[in-house]
Amino acid sequence: MAGNAKAQETIFSLREEIARLEGKPLATAAALQQAEAAARVHLAMSKPAPLPIDPDDRPDRLGFGVTRLDQALGGGLPIDGITEMRTARMADAGAASGFAAALAAHLKEASGDDAPVLWIGDAVARNDMGAAYAPGLAQFGLGSGDVLHGLPRRLEDALWLVETALSSGALAATILEIRGNRAQFGLTESRRLSLRAKAARRPLLLLRHGGQEEASSAEFRFLVEPAPASKRRLADGAMLKGSIGHPVFHLSLEKSRNPAPLSLLLEWNIHDRQFSEVDPRNAVAFPGIGRAPAHPGARLPASCDRQDRAAALGHVVAFERAS
Amino acid sequence: MFPMLDVMDEDAGADAALLSALADWCDRYTPLVALDGCNGLFLDITGCAHLFGGEERLLEDILNRLSHLGFDVRGAISSSPGLSSAISRFSRSRVIADQTVRAGLIIREALAPLPVRALRLDEAIVAALAKLGLKRVGDLFGLDRAPLARRFGAVLLLRLDQALGNLQEAISPRRPVALLSAERKLAEPVEAEEDILGLAERLAVTLEQALEARGLGGRLFELVLFRVDGRVFRISAGASQPLRDPRRVARLFAERLTAVHDDLDAGFGFELLRLNILSHDVFRMPQGDLEGKGQGEISLADFIDRVSARLGENCLLVADMRQSHVPEHAEAFSPAALSREGPFQGHGARSDKAVARPEPQGRFTPATDRPLRILRHPEAIDSMLATVPDGPPQQFRWRHVVHAVICAEGPERIAPEWWLADETERERDYYKLESTGGHRFWVFREGRYGSADAPTWHMHGVFA
Repeated sequence: MAGNAKAQETIFSLREEIARLEGKPLATAAALQQAEAAARVHLAMSKPAPLPIDPDDRPDRLGFGVTRLDQALGGGLPIDGITEMRTARMADAGAASGFAAALAAHLKEASGDDAPVLWIGDAVARNDMGAAYAPGLAQFGLGSGDVLHGLPRRLEDALWLVETALSSGALAATILEIRGNRAQFGLTESRRLSLRAKAARRPLLLLRHGGQEEASSAEFRFLVEPAPASKRRLADGAMLKGSIGHPVFHLSLEKSRNPAPLSLLLEWNIHDRQFSEVDPRNAVAFPGIGRAPAHPGARLPASCDRQDRAAALGHVVAFERAS
Repeated sequence: MFPMLDVMDEDAGADAALLSALADWCDRYTPLVALDGCNGLFLDITGCAHLFGGEERLLEDILNRLSHLGFDVRGAISSSPGLSSAISRFSRSRVIADQTVRAGLIIREALAPLPVRALRLDEAIVAALAKLGLKRVGDLFGLDRAPLARRFGAVLLLRLDQALGNLQEAISPRRPVALLSAERKLAEPVEAEEDILGLAERLAVTLEQALEARGLGGRLFELVLFRVDGRVFRISAGASQPLRDPRRVARLFAERLTAVHDDLDAGFGFELLRLNILSHDVFRMPQGDLEGKGQGEISLADFIDRVSARLGENCLLVADMRQSHVPEHAEAFSPAALSREGPFQGHGARSDKAVARPEPQGRFTPATDRPLRILRHPEAIDSMLATVPDGPPQQFRWRHVVHAVICAEGPERIAPEWWLADETERERDYYKLESTGGHRFWVFREGRYGSADAPTWHMHGVFA
């Protein structure tokens, strides 16, 4: 019995060591389970229980306050790394910018000092989908004095600006807008920025408009898609029909250490400045979806006179460089 | 007759450029350099001569260096610009001392043999004087002033008095005088950027003490580089807050040098470096607390300065919210380097720039929703199936894509600011629309149904 307990303890400490080496914040549940199992054994041996690892003792993570998301992210948004937000199309820029602004407001509030947020815009994205609008940002929780707008002409300048911003450590968060997958911003550059972020313990939010999945040094990558907004809540708790309330983002976690895929609807409460998950069953259903097609008329299948294309074999384990 | 003679057209512009380049070069002797016509320079060397070992040594140094550069130059030092101009052009003597009791007499003696042309007079007056046999300046000394003034105008007496030193004449320097400046002459010219920056930092150390003594900090620094062959480069760098720290000053110039890298041709090297402070402000000592909050403020100012130095002031902006209901006028951007009012900045004495800036009009947040991204120019859309007279569209086409609307909020009527704009502008009714794709748009209808002009629909922004 004693030998068994000893072995359990050794395995647990080894796991802990491995998690530490890999930079993982310890798969919480597993670690806790191990701790409990060890504790049970210890209890049986009537020895004092070792202290379990405190899950709150992680200053390098900022929780969303949404259990499912926080668990998948291993505690929350990394304070000292890159988080990428990607949209499939430029037209979804509104949703992605909203998510980025919400995160920045959340980070700024958590940082607790007067440090502003740097928003580095992309010239084409500004022309195409508009520039960040100060009154709109103010409603998201970023007042006009809290945001510095960076407008570099070239991507090289933008990268230098990000690097300077991260290493100065004077900014609560840095948002870098980038369009598509550019050759000038590859794995090397993203690794470099990631190291800077780690050294200064400041986050970088990478906002990629109309881009593909690409190998990068970002710790997490979300695919952001627009989702119908929640309705406005009335004073008695009822929903106001036909109104447009808090924005909702449809997030898919594409890259993380956690292998389980995750897709959820996240609502940003503009007034309370906090996230909450929207149950897809309770989410506002589009009248067009499920009942009648948005564009009436028969839609031909992708292949009308032959078999569908053969699916690719195997699983995708690594992405090629898209740029 | 002279086959080796090379004939060229006169190029007044090139001459003027050369003269102003020479004036820049002369900055090494005194900050007060003015142009004298199209072929001369005035240098106000008051208080500068002793740095070069006296007036005669100074003049010799200037003339030697310029003739080595390939110019045929003449020069003179005297107590007034008019006298110097006359002596240098029409006489062999060089320095007219005015320290002695007999100064007035010496000046008269020096002027008397010169032709009247030396008094910087018009050709017409010179010709009229010659007709009367008044060819030398000395001829004018004994004459009554009143008839001279009546006959030749006040200019003649003015010029005469200026040459004699009876009337003060002010020269107009080309550049403003720096509050403080430090310079270093080098025996061996430097070319490498690191050397230049190292020297700039040493100069900044010198200036730091002077700034401390005055309780000031620099807002605008200028590094002047004198190249061996006479070309002068000026690189200026601004700071968002009054600055003293030599390392930060040097870092600013490091960014500037990277930015102007291609334009700065070191050639055979720079022989003289000077650091000027062109604009300054009251410096308030930041006091960091135990949590290190003051440090964060410093690093933010440092970040803004470095970015502004390297990428330009317009690369880092802050938005000011204006009290206007018209969405495109509700925000105004200004460079972060100029508009950021740090907590250390004094309230008593500010630089002119800060005073000229309009006072912020208070935070103004509209009560209704505003989009997160706004288009610079509203884009026309085709509205389909809009309820008349004031309903939102059921469908619209924007950039060739048809969006079906499932939800709409509005209208929010925004009337033009009639007290500012012209009266042809029409009022707008803004709607927040949600499409089947989950996108949220901000569109507006300009004009009303039933009026003379048909209303038009525009896209103005997107919500999150």
